[in-house]
Amino acid sequence: MQNILTKTGRTVLAILAYIGEVARLAMESFLSIFSMRVRWRLVMRQIVEIGTRSQMVVIVTGAFTGAVFSAQLYFQLQRLGMASTVGSVTAVAMFRELGPALAGLMVAGRVGASIAAEIGTMKVTEQVDALRSIGVHPVDYLVVPRVTAMMISMPLLVAECCAFSVLSANYVALNVLGIAEAGYMRNLIFYVGLFDIYKALIKGFVFGLIIVFVACREGLRTENGAAGVGRAPTEAVVISSLAILAVNFILTFALNIIFPAN
Amino acid sequence: MIETRELTKSFGNKAVLRGVSLTVQDGETLVVLGRSGSGKSVILKHLIGLMKPDSGEVLVEGEPITGLQERQMTSVRRKIGMLFQSAALFDSMSVEENLAFPLQEQGVRDLKIINERVAEALEMVDLPGEQKKAPSDLSGGMRKRVGLARTIIGKPRCILYDEPTTGLDPITSDSINHLIRRLQRRLGVTSIVVTHDMKTAFHCADRIAFLHEGRVHFSGTPDEMRASKDTEIMNFIEGHSGDTDT
Repeated sequence: MQNILTKTGRTVLAILAYIGEVARLAMESFLSIFSMRVRWRLVMRQIVEIGTRSQMVVIVTGAFTGAVFSAQLYFQLQRLGMASTVGSVTAVAMFRELGPALAGLMVAGRVGASIAAEIGTMKVTEQVDALRSIGVHPVDYLVVPRVTAMMISMPLLVAECCAFSVLSANYVALNVLGIAEAGYMRNLIFYVGLFDIYKALIKGFVFGLIIVFVACREGLRTENGAAGVGRAPTEAVVISSLAILAVNFILTFALNIIFPAN
Repeated sequence: MIETRELTKSFGNKAVLRGVSLTVQDGETLVVLGRSGSGKSVILKHLIGLMKPDSGEVLVEGEPITGLQERQMTSVRRKIGMLFQSAALFDSMSVEENLAFPLQEQGVRDLKIINERVAEALEMVDLPGEQKKAPSDLSGGMRKRVGLARTIIGKPRCILYDEPTTGLDPITSDSINHLIRRLQRRLGVTSIVVTHDMKTAFHCADRIAFLHEGRVHFSGTPDEMRASKDTEIMNFIEGHSGDTDT
């Protein structure tokens, strides 16, 4: 019994220590941003890396999820005579939950892993120490451009994911499943509001920060040569994915207080 | 110019430095010798504030740097340049960009001045005209030279060399040794060279400090070291491990 308590205690302490480290990195980054130490040339490069190059994966994910979601809803709801609500339910689900979460998980896999691997390689090859020896703070040069780029890119990626999911759901519902357009569109416009879009963008913004800070932390903490560089991206993806799912749950309730569902 | 006082540093249970006191005078070349894992590179990283000691002090031009925060270290680091063991070139940049980077960080914006200083630094390390190459296209010796060019381009008053000849063939090592000596004369900088290569030590040193069991076991001129009858020093110079084949 004591053993279990000890292990549980250690795990909780380790999680708290990890959150503390990430929070410290976040604080240092925001201090740097507010002190106008942003290198815009690097930010632009990172927007291409994080934003532009993630579009395909996010669009494909959103489009196919929207398509299958609307098909499944149709199979269930048509028996109740509610086929015209397929579009609105799909859109609400995508905007409020699936769009941000799926885009977050996809970006964690693509961008989080790449950030952790790149910074981790720089760490073990002494390039991070070389930056410091030149008088450049690694947070200013490596973390801040990525954080800034992520803050700009991630809400846009989530918006793209949601938009393509709704478009593909519309296509499947109206052209493949043959749902009547008038009722479908009326419900869509009636049940989906601006607040749903706000929720998607806020969630995307928060998930982006989780991905970039976890990935940068893993990169900057990389040790033990090639083995460490191999481990850093895996840790970054696993930790940020789990954090996104957990934070999504909290955000759902928090945002429902700010923007009530009704 | 640089002084350490009773520096101690442990990693886990392993005490690497157990009270290292060193003084390096202006314009002097000090070679720090010692076996692998004796803490030579650790000392070097303390001198430029890349590591914090468990206890003891590092003074640069009389000012203690041990308590300084990372952002307060910038002015100290502009006085001290470091050549890393792996050269640590930024692999996302070309040779030219690697060299221009410290200048841009110092606020130099004039492209003409940057280009001139890059060309001058490359000429000093015998690599004229190599501006456009990527670090991946360079040999080990060339990487060290470019790393050295990046170190000297900011005109530091002190250069730290971390194992400058490790992993290089004897001919390239010899040319790096000559380069270190030549730069020391031409730029008049203080130099601290960490190595376990006796040839480098005797070629470059004005004074040698020999590290053993986390402390400075010997400090003196190369001639004094050669004449020493201390077993540890004699074994190190002659490369005797004391092991047998059977």
